[in-house]
Parts: sequence; structure tokens; C-alpha cells
Amino acid sequence: MLGMAVGLFAAAEFYIPAHEVRIIQEHLLQWGLILAAAAFVLGGVNILQVNYPKIRRREEDWGFKLVLLGGAAVMGLVGIRWHTIGEDPTNGTIAVVEHATESGALIRLDSTRADTLAKIDGKRPIDLGAPGHVTEVSVAPGHHTVKVYMNVAGYGDLAEEVDVPAGGVAAVHGDLALHWGPSGRVYTWIYDYIFAPCNATMFALLAFFIASAAFRAFRARNTESALLLGAAILVMLGAVPIGRAISDFFPQLSDWIVAVPNNAGRRAIIMGAALGAIATSLRVILGLERSHLGSD
Amino acid sequence: MDLATIDLFGHWVGIFLTFCILSFLYKDNPFYKLAEHLFIGVSVGYIVTQQYYNVLEPKVVQAIASADHWYFNLALVPLVLVALLFVRSVSKRYAWIGRYPLAFVVALYAGIQINAVAQADLGQQMKRAMSDVVVDRTNVNTASAKVIQNMPGMSPDVAQKIVAHRDQQPFSSLDDLAGLDTLTADQRATLDEGRGHVTGLDARLAVTDGQIDWFGTLSRIFMVLGLIASLVYFYFSIAHKGAIGGVSRFGVWVLMIGFGASFGFTVQGRIALAIGRSMDILGLDKAPAVAEQIHGPLAALVVVAIIVFGLAVWELRSRRAR
Amino acid sequence: MADKPTELPEDRTGKRPRDLPPANADQPKSNLPGARSLKPHWTERLATFDRRWVFLAMAIAIVVPFFAPLNLPVKASPRVRALYYSVESLHEGDVVFLSMDFDPASTPELAPFFRAVALHLKRKGVKMVLASTWYAAPPLVERYIREMVDRPLIGPDDTDYKGPPDRAYKQNVDYVWLGFREGKEAVIAAMGNDLRATFDHRAADGTPLADIPMMEGIHQLKDFDLIITISAGFPGTKEYVQQVQSRYDLPIVAACTAVSTTDLTPYYDAGQLLGLVGGMGAVAEYESLIGKPGLGTQGADVLNFGHLVVILAIVFGNFIYFAGRRQRRKRGQ
Repeated sequence: MLGMAVGLFAAAEFYIPAHEVRIIQEHLLQWGLILAAAAFVLGGVNILQVNYPKIRRREEDWGFKLVLLGGAAVMGLVGIRWHTIGEDPTNGTIAVVEHATESGALIRLDSTRADTLAKIDGKRPIDLGAPGHVTEVSVAPGHHTVKVYMNVAGYGDLAEEVDVPAGGVAAVHGDLALHWGPSGRVYTWIYDYIFAPCNATMFALLAFFIASAAFRAFRARNTESALLLGAAILVMLGAVPIGRAISDFFPQLSDWIVAVPNNAGRRAIIMGAALGAIATSLRVILGLERSHLGSD
Repeated sequence: MDLATIDLFGHWVGIFLTFCILSFLYKDNPFYKLAEHLFIGVSVGYIVTQQYYNVLEPKVVQAIASADHWYFNLALVPLVLVALLFVRSVSKRYAWIGRYPLAFVVALYAGIQINAVAQADLGQQMKRAMSDVVVDRTNVNTASAKVIQNMPGMSPDVAQKIVAHRDQQPFSSLDDLAGLDTLTADQRATLDEGRGHVTGLDARLAVTDGQIDWFGTLSRIFMVLGLIASLVYFYFSIAHKGAIGGVSRFGVWVLMIGFGASFGFTVQGRIALAIGRSMDILGLDKAPAVAEQIHGPLAALVVVAIIVFGLAVWELRSRRAR
Repeated sequence: MADKPTELPEDRTGKRPRDLPPANADQPKSNLPGARSLKPHWTERLATFDRRWVFLAMAIAIVVPFFAPLNLPVKASPRVRALYYSVESLHEGDVVFLSMDFDPASTPELAPFFRAVALHLKRKGVKMVLASTWYAAPPLVERYIREMVDRPLIGPDDTDYKGPPDRAYKQNVDYVWLGFREGKEAVIAAMGNDLRATFDHRAADGTPLADIPMMEGIHQLKDFDLIITISAGFPGTKEYVQQVQSRYDLPIVAACTAVSTTDLTPYYDAGQLLGLVGGMGAVAEYESLIGKPGLGTQGADVLNFGHLVVILAIVFGNFIYFAGRRQRRKRGQ
């Protein structure tokens, strides 16, 4: 019943331009997003629930399952924004001392961390060198923006505006806070050096399997498979520079294959899939289709 | 800029894991399993934290915390739905409660799907499919610059120049157009390259109305026939015999050419991913100064040596165990 | 994990046929009739040879050409030129929406595109709003912003680049990063309806959207001058077309992976997409239009060899198949 009301409303909203309807639709959509996100959290919990007993019973490959749970625990823990709990960390200080230099004005920079960069008035970054090393930049007296930041992700920034009088020195001391959570240092480290290479290589494996499949499985046994192979080879040649280097005919022919026969077939598939999707959606909304709810 | 030691180490970890996964090409082995399980584990932690901080925290936690009265707040509705959803994983007996949020989500998605698909996939695609079969050549003396710029060998700048010229004096032939004196040498060369009587400029542009683009028209006819034949193949579940059999056989051919094109592109995509890995290891996607510190190729050789040695030991041990 | 490749090989053991003793190894060379036919024909032996040799050929094809590039010229196809002109027709101060729907796996195809389009937008002074519907994207997008948006892409060393220079963009002044929201096509529908509510009225760094001058007048997707979707699959360009393009008549251009190109060309053909860059080869074409060859061009060069390996594998496989078929027929079936 609830499903029917929600579904009918979401479908009908398309035709009703009233403002109130848009607001209700917005709320429904937002709740949908929340539930979708919660489902992922639930999925994560399920994976842990499935794997923990396997470790306890010392089943085959339990060591690897331990790695799995360990990875999840570490990533989950460093994904919490610890630095926002309690006192807000500062990222350094700026102090202006008047009558400290003979001529012009100076900005004196230092940092407690290596690999810190500084930008004055949005100009090219300056490397601040080792911790404690002081860099002096002479500037025109007046208003300046100073930004002290790290070369890598996961730290706070010190971005301040400062007025340096003639003969004054602005001492900028960077003490950038280490951040935790999804933009934090450790989290992005794991993402960059564990998650990303694994994710990318998993898919890169397919290049090798597709080459081997091309050798073993793609045989021109009949007209249909001959057409498929012919089109595939022409498109492959047309998509890379070497096809054009052989003849201009290849890219043009491959464009035509994509634009005409491919589009004709695709369009048929798209229309068919659309009809199917509409039929299924109607069945769901009208309560004729309940398989997603599981059996009693 | 020097790479921090921890990041240098990180790059090596990445190279190690890359080859651990590639070792699957030899066969399933402990190195692959290690990388796979580590990846899945990290992914679980990653997904949960992303979902929390990007969706649940702003939409539920903050929405409730920032409201004037916590008890009169629309954000409580999804909170209750989420709580119901979690009953499923806690208690088997009350798992049926979890059906309500599920019904809500599925129905909502079904609802937004209906019109979207009907309009974008059926309406617009049908409209395009039923547009005029006869394709006229574009009349360079009346068409807008936007249309002209998409012709072979054209660019927005050239189209502007053509429009400027024809408003003074209409073109009498395409050679006239190609010899336009306001064009730069580069533009003229590109324009000449775009000419051709089948799919090129000569086939698609004209100086008067009502000229037919023969190749375009034939392609349109082929497209419409192909679409109808493919639809016939899909929807006539009766025996494909006689005339319908012939049509649906043509439909299969059209679909096969389409699948061939898809396969060609799939090959391109998959190989591109592998190329990406080799760029990463060779350091081509990084600043030269950074790549120099990582010594990617050397690290790769060391890693391969370690994995090959490890695999040899593993093979010997499992052979002995047998 | 939905992220795992679905096309894992069935033959997990990867047994080496050549390690096995030949079928007739222990048979003395006799002149018995029929002994000759027991020996497998060369086509059979070739057809079953270890596929790991194909793997090796592919590995060589994707590594070695980096050291000996062909540097073949690249020329843009109509779909790529259409995207280029759509961006080119924007004016300084226009605001575009970039949907960053990809994960690290698809970076070889999509990162070079983002670099090229970021340069294109920045040198025209177009402002950007970035968001993602993929949970795997946020740290990646933040890195791209740090490396390609926060800094100028054209440095003093780029002497071969002839176009106008770009500048460093400032967060929440020249660009806004909204972050990621879960919900697949429902997020896209929600952004079409109310972009601000979908992102809870704040940017990813917590700045309220009301305090950001460039967001003035932007409440829904239809308030952008152009929408650029960079997508590696579901949800992505197709869902944008379905949920919002037709409904609000939005100008959308798309960059996608090669795998989904043929799914999207019907939408380009029907005018629902104004331009389409599909795959690494097409990115190389776009880079040539921008005048700044990058990783796409370098990759497309190597792609030549990868494609040749696959084409040769198909041709060789079919040659063996047909030769073997003749042999089998001769043998008397």
C-alpha cells in the first residue's frame, strides 16, 4: 500500500507543475537517497557478519578473511573525523611586528612540517623547506593574502589576510593540523596506494582475457559471426591513429558503422528495454510484482 | 618538491599490489588472494565512511540536530525507515519489518523511472527514428553558422566567415566557397580535406535548396529498415518463417554489426585500462621530478622477482604436499 | 563487491597443455596403419596452446611502445568536434556542471579528458560546479582539483603549447566542489528538481552555498549553461539523459569509457547529447583540438599496438580454425 502511494505519486509528479508537489517529491527523493546510503552500510555490516564466523572456525583461507576484516576496520577507523572532536585545531599563527625592518615590508614564513608550500597573493608557490627553516619574502607595504598549505591532501590550510605596514614584518607560523576522515591524510593514503591500484588492476586484467578470448572464441562460423568480427575489426582500426595512417577510409567507415547499423540495433534495444522497464515499474507500483520483498 | 617517505613507500605498495593482482594471469595464488581480500576489506570501510559523511551525516544527523524541535522534524521519517531496514540484519524473526523501507525505495525508483524512460528512450528516440527519410543537403546560402560549423572540415570561425561572405554575395558553387579569400591557409587545408562526394562536404552542402544528400538518405533508409527489422526480431516470438523470417534475419545481421562495434570499443576500453596501469608504473602520469624519485620500472622488477620467487616456493610446497 | 570484474575466466587452473606428455609419447614409432593420425594435427596443437602466450604478447604491446612511440597524427571525428564546439561557445563567467561519475579503474580513459576539458574551461574563464554520483570518486576528484584546477595547467615549460594560458582557480570563487551523494538515478532526478537541497545547501568543505557568489541564481540543473558528464557506467550519462535531459531540455555533452560509447551514440544521434567523447582514442582527438597533447594522445599511440594484437589474435585464431576444419574434413568425416 505504502509502495503504491509513493510510486504513484512519484510517477504523477511528472505531470503536475504545482510547487507543493515539487516539495513533496523533493522530500521523497531525499529519503530515497538516505535509504540507498543506509543499504550500503547494511551491506558492509553483512560482509563482516559473513566473514567473522569463518575466522572463528578457522575455515580455509581464514588468514585472508582476517586481512579483509583488518582492512575494513582500519579504513573505518581512519575514516572518522577525529580531529573535529573536541577543540578545533588551529593551523598556525600570524603576528605583525611594526618597525622591525629598515625598508619596505617583509613576510617571514616558517612551518612545523616538511613539504609545506606558501602562496602570497595567489602567486607561484614557495617551498618552505625543512621544519623550522625561515623564509623571508619582501613585499610592498599594504594588504596581502597569505596561504600556507601542504603539497599533499589531508592537512588543514592557513589562509589569512594581513596588513603589513611600511617597515613592518608579518611572521607567519604554519602549524598545519593533520586531518582524519574521508579527506584526511591516512584515508587518502590508503585510497591512493591500496584501493586505487587494486581497483584499476582488477579491470586491467580484462585486457588480457579479451585478447585470449579473441584468439580462442571469435570464429567466423556463419554469416552472423562473420559480420560481428568484421565490424569489430573495422571499428578497432578506425578508433586509433593507425587506421587513419593506413587510409582515411577506416575512420569514416567505422564512424558509419557506429552511426548507422549500430544505432539502428541499439535504438531497438533501448526501446525494448524502455517498454520492459515501464511494464516492470507499473507492476511494482500496482503491487503485482513482489519478488523484491522476499517470500513469507 | 621531495616526495614524503611515506608517499614513496605508498607508490611501491601500489606497484606491489598491481603485480599481485596481475599474478592471477598465471593462476589463482596467495598473492592474488592477499590483494583481493585487502581490497575488499578496505572497500567496505571506505564505502561505509563515504556513505556516512556524504549522505547520512548531513541528511539525518545534522538535519535533526539543527531543527528547532527534534520531535517535529521530517528527517525523523527516514531515520525510522533506516532503523526498520536494520532490523533485517539483527533479527530473523522480525525481518519482515524491513520490507516497508524496501517497498518504499523500490516503488520510488519505479515511479521516477516510468516517465524518464518513456520520454527519453521511447519518445525522443522514436521521434528521431521517424524523422524524414530523405536527407537534403544543407544550403550554405541560408543555413545558420551553427549548422555549417558541424559539416566536415568546418569550424565555428570558418562558418562565421562563410556567413559574413554570403550575406554580401551568395555562393554560386562550392569551389567558390573553398576559395574564400578570408580563410587562413590552415583553414583552407582543413576545408579541402573535408571535401568528398560520398560523405564529405560536396555530398552534404549545396548552394541551392532541394539538393538530396544521397549517401545520407541511403544511410537513413538503412537505419530505419534496420530498426524495424531488429524490432521484428525481438517482438515476433512466433516462428521466424517466410517474410518475417527474412526480415528478422536482416534484423539479426544489423544487431550483429552493432555488437561487433561494441566489441571493438570494449577491446579499446579494456586495453586502455591496462595501458593506464603501465603508465602508472612507468611514471608517465606523474610529474617527471616525482617519477624520478619513485623509480617505477626498478620497483616493478624487484616486485616481480619477489612474486616469482614466492610463487615458485608456493608451487614446490603444494607439489610436495600432494 | 560490485566492483569486481564480471568476466573472470572460467578456466582458473590455467593448465599448461605443453607440460602434459604428448598423446603418443609412449608409443613406439610404428608403421601400424592409423598411427600417423593419432598425432594431433598442427592446427589442433596451435588451437590449444597456452593462452598465457597471448597474455605475454599483450603485455609487450602495452609496455614496449612507450619507449618507441609512433607519434601518428590524430584527427578529430564529428562527435568529438561537436563536444569541443559546445565548450568553445561558452563565455567568460558562464557556469558549467561537471558530473564526475567514475572510479580509479576508469582513470586511464577519463582523467586525460578531465585535464583537457579543465584547461579548455579555465582558459575561457568558465566557472565550474563539480559533483559525483559514484562513491568511489570523492578522493580522486579532490586530487584532480588539487592538481588540475587549483593550479594552472600551463607552466613556463610548455613551450609547444600555443593556446591562451589558464590560471589557478579559487575554491568557492571560481569553482565549487559539492561532493558525492548516494542514490544513483534518484540523485540525478533530485538535482534536476532541487540541486541545493540534494547537497544540503553546502559545498563539500562545509561552506554554505548561499555564501558563494558564483552559485547565485543556480538552484537546479537547468540553471547551468552546459552540463558535462564524465561517466564510466551506471549511474552516468544515460541516467542524466533519462532523468533530466528530456524533461528540462538540458544541454549535455558527455565523455565516457569506450565500453559505453555504442550505448550512448543513439542519444547523440537524436540530439539528446550535444557531443560525445568515447574512449582513449577520442580523448586524443579532443586533446588535438585543444592543442595540448597529453596522456590520451600518448595512450592512443600505444593503443595501436594493443588493437593489432587483438586483431592478429582473431585473424590467427580463424586461420587455424579454417585450416583445421579442412583437415578434419579430409580425415574422412
